[in-house]
Amino acid sequence: MKKLLALCLFTAASVVAQPPPAAAPRPGGNMLITRSVPDAAAVERGQKNFVGNCGFCHGTTAQGGDGGPDLVRSPLALDDERGDKIGPVIEQGRPGKGMPAFHLPADQIQDIAAFLRSRQQAAIDRSAYSILNVVTGDREKGREYFNGAGRCHSCHSPTGDLAGIAKKYDAVTLQSRFLYPRPRPGESQPQITVRSATGQSFSGTLEYLDDFDVALRDAAGDYHSFSRDGRVKLEVHDPLAAHAELLKKYTDTDMHNLLAYLVTLK
Amino acid sequence: MKLIAFAEMKLIAFALVGCSLAAQSLDPALLLKPPTDTWPTYNGDYSGRRFSPLSRINSSNVTAMTLAWEYRLDPGAGTLTSTIKSTPLEVNGVLYFTLPDHAWAVDARTGRQLWHYQWESHGGIHIGSRGFGMYGSWLYFETPDNYLVSLNAKDGTERWHVEIADVKQEYFSTPAPIVIRNHILVGVGGDSLDVPGYLESRDPETGQLQWRWNTTPRKGQPGAETWPNPESMEHGGGMTWVPGTYDPDLNLYYLGTGNPNPVMAGQGRKGDNLWTCSIVALNPDTGKLAWYFQASPHDTHDWDAAETPVLIDGEMDGRPRKLLAQSSRNGYFFVLDRTNGKNVVSKPFIDLNWSKGLDAKGQPIGNPDKEPKPDGTLVIPALGGAANWPSPSFDPETGLFYINASSSYSLYYLTDKADKPEGYGGRDSGVYSTLALKAIDYRTGQIRWTHEYNRPGPAIGILTTAGKLLFTGDPSGNFIVYDPSNGKILWHAHLIGNLSNGPMTYELDGRQYVVVGAGDTLYGFTLLQ
Repeated sequence: MKKLLALCLFTAASVVAQPPPAAAPRPGGNMLITRSVPDAAAVERGQKNFVGNCGFCHGTTAQGGDGGPDLVRSPLALDDERGDKIGPVIEQGRPGKGMPAFHLPADQIQDIAAFLRSRQQAAIDRSAYSILNVVTGDREKGREYFNGAGRCHSCHSPTGDLAGIAKKYDAVTLQSRFLYPRPRPGESQPQITVRSATGQSFSGTLEYLDDFDVALRDAAGDYHSFSRDGRVKLEVHDPLAAHAELLKKYTDTDMHNLLAYLVTLK
Repeated sequence: MKLIAFAEMKLIAFALVGCSLAAQSLDPALLLKPPTDTWPTYNGDYSGRRFSPLSRINSSNVTAMTLAWEYRLDPGAGTLTSTIKSTPLEVNGVLYFTLPDHAWAVDARTGRQLWHYQWESHGGIHIGSRGFGMYGSWLYFETPDNYLVSLNAKDGTERWHVEIADVKQEYFSTPAPIVIRNHILVGVGGDSLDVPGYLESRDPETGQLQWRWNTTPRKGQPGAETWPNPESMEHGGGMTWVPGTYDPDLNLYYLGTGNPNPVMAGQGRKGDNLWTCSIVALNPDTGKLAWYFQASPHDTHDWDAAETPVLIDGEMDGRPRKLLAQSSRNGYFFVLDRTNGKNVVSKPFIDLNWSKGLDAKGQPIGNPDKEPKPDGTLVIPALGGAANWPSPSFDPETGLFYINASSSYSLYYLTDKADKPEGYGGRDSGVYSTLALKAIDYRTGQIRWTHEYNRPGPAIGILTTAGKLLFTGDPSGNFIVYDPSNGKILWHAHLIGNLSNGPMTYELDGRQYVVVGAGDTLYGFTLLQ
């Protein structure tokens, strides 16, 4: 069985149907944010108030500054609900630590609390972090790599399948996709030929493959599945195999140069 | 006289067995033995080997293994996750297991539900619950909002609960408590916002704190020299995600610690960041650190070293050795002398690209070029690591350590360039991965055999037995039995989804059962009769 598999060219990743996930998603959203998200208008008002009253010591982003501690990771600020913990501190100050008292109305304290919660949630929610500039490579060297060491040109063409690719994808997405595209239905799927125990041959798009069973859908749309006993022969052609192979060879410089070239294909 | 005494002893023994059945109580002596009719702790015993001496199901008859029962759990509407990650305990014919906020007891012979307990949650991230610890008639589990809850094993009624961490500080708890004598060892998790990690020992009767060991030092303490300032170490992470192992002779508890915070932005915490990403040995009576070995000094890739430290009573150069082995998330297989933490083997079990070699202590030296960068670095392994929390297994009969290893690539982006970043400070983008079952020679770290799946998958737990069998799953939803000596497949069955917990086994009334969880379903297998 292992030998057969070794003969195959199959190296695909997420192309074979995965069992459905059993876990239900959190209703309405983001697994990382488990407390209520403050009202955007309150956050905006709170930010202005905070920058004006508190920013000098705590920093305009609440991450701490000259004399004032970080309030994004502050246990007291994290414990707070709508100003119930920070309100008394604002009202009374911290005379021993050099913080004066601020006499603010309750609604303004709640706005400041909303701003601090939004700052905390911005740090907590890594899925929303912005990726910075990824186009740092040398475009010309990227073109050389495409046509040379990378051997990209043996399957792709800047005036053919890749024409306008940089209009289709932003640079961050393009970086992930040229490294290893996650195929969408109908695109770049592994093709398979199965010779059954009776000697019949079936070809089509690979739908399923494990150590025990294999399934394909042929050009007519018909589904065929087979048990992989020793008499069933497989030949899999994965059009993405070259991408997987190249992952072992890239230097980060190659990768950045290639991206710098691909983003010019508009 | 003698005869009477013998008869009396038998009567007493019978009475005790009857008594313990009625009380559903765990005899603590069973924690010190390899698991047979009882699976009394997360890993079956303290060693973390997940090797059972049972052999009724064995390589000559495993083809006759079949489904005895299945139990599909119903946690009710609004449940955030219904994936069984917990390894059930089995005590006196009853299985006990958990989900976040939920716990069940089912009959180990039939899968019939005995009780279901639901915790009213105050929030927290719901990613998993590894299961119960047990002391006498009492069960203990941790909730996503960081309560240690004690239940009566008999009927699932709550006895008490105590808070072990503050959910508002972004802690959430997943581990199974480990019971050592009268210590309930509880870990905490949560890496969203730079909180410090710790392990606690709690009183089994009251839940009161006995001791706390912080995974990062405080100002002036040993280890503080590996952080730039007190603030960085007090916000330095190092969660205690996964239950540890225990050597009763040395009276040391072995634990793998989590990665430092901020997770991917290391510029605000220059230094090795002890004791994050480390294997540590603690005295369970005092919480005092006996020794440490750091798997990833100054980690910036989310590669905790929380994976189970497996205890191996082995032999090297002709003399017996007390060893400890870990297949670490960073892709290294480590073997240490567990009496003193000295390194014996450090060898990658996947082809990784982030290390420049080993330091004098056998600890990997990270390549700074492969730390997260604003424009991305391509790193092997991916964020999820070459291994993760699911249990490996060590088979003393083959001398091989088994792990489902992921060869994976991620792009690592630094998103927060500030001098004092917060939270993760970076992002990853998974590129590609393939999973393989690997058998590693603990003496050398050499891979003896590999079974490639040629597709990605989650890490999946493993069990080995004296029946010369290895039980695990593939990433296509198959439960598979292998020959542990050579990787030959002996049996398989397709389940509702991928194995989601560690397989476990027990024998009752002369029948051996193997139990696995896949998604929301627990399956019991046994031989055809």
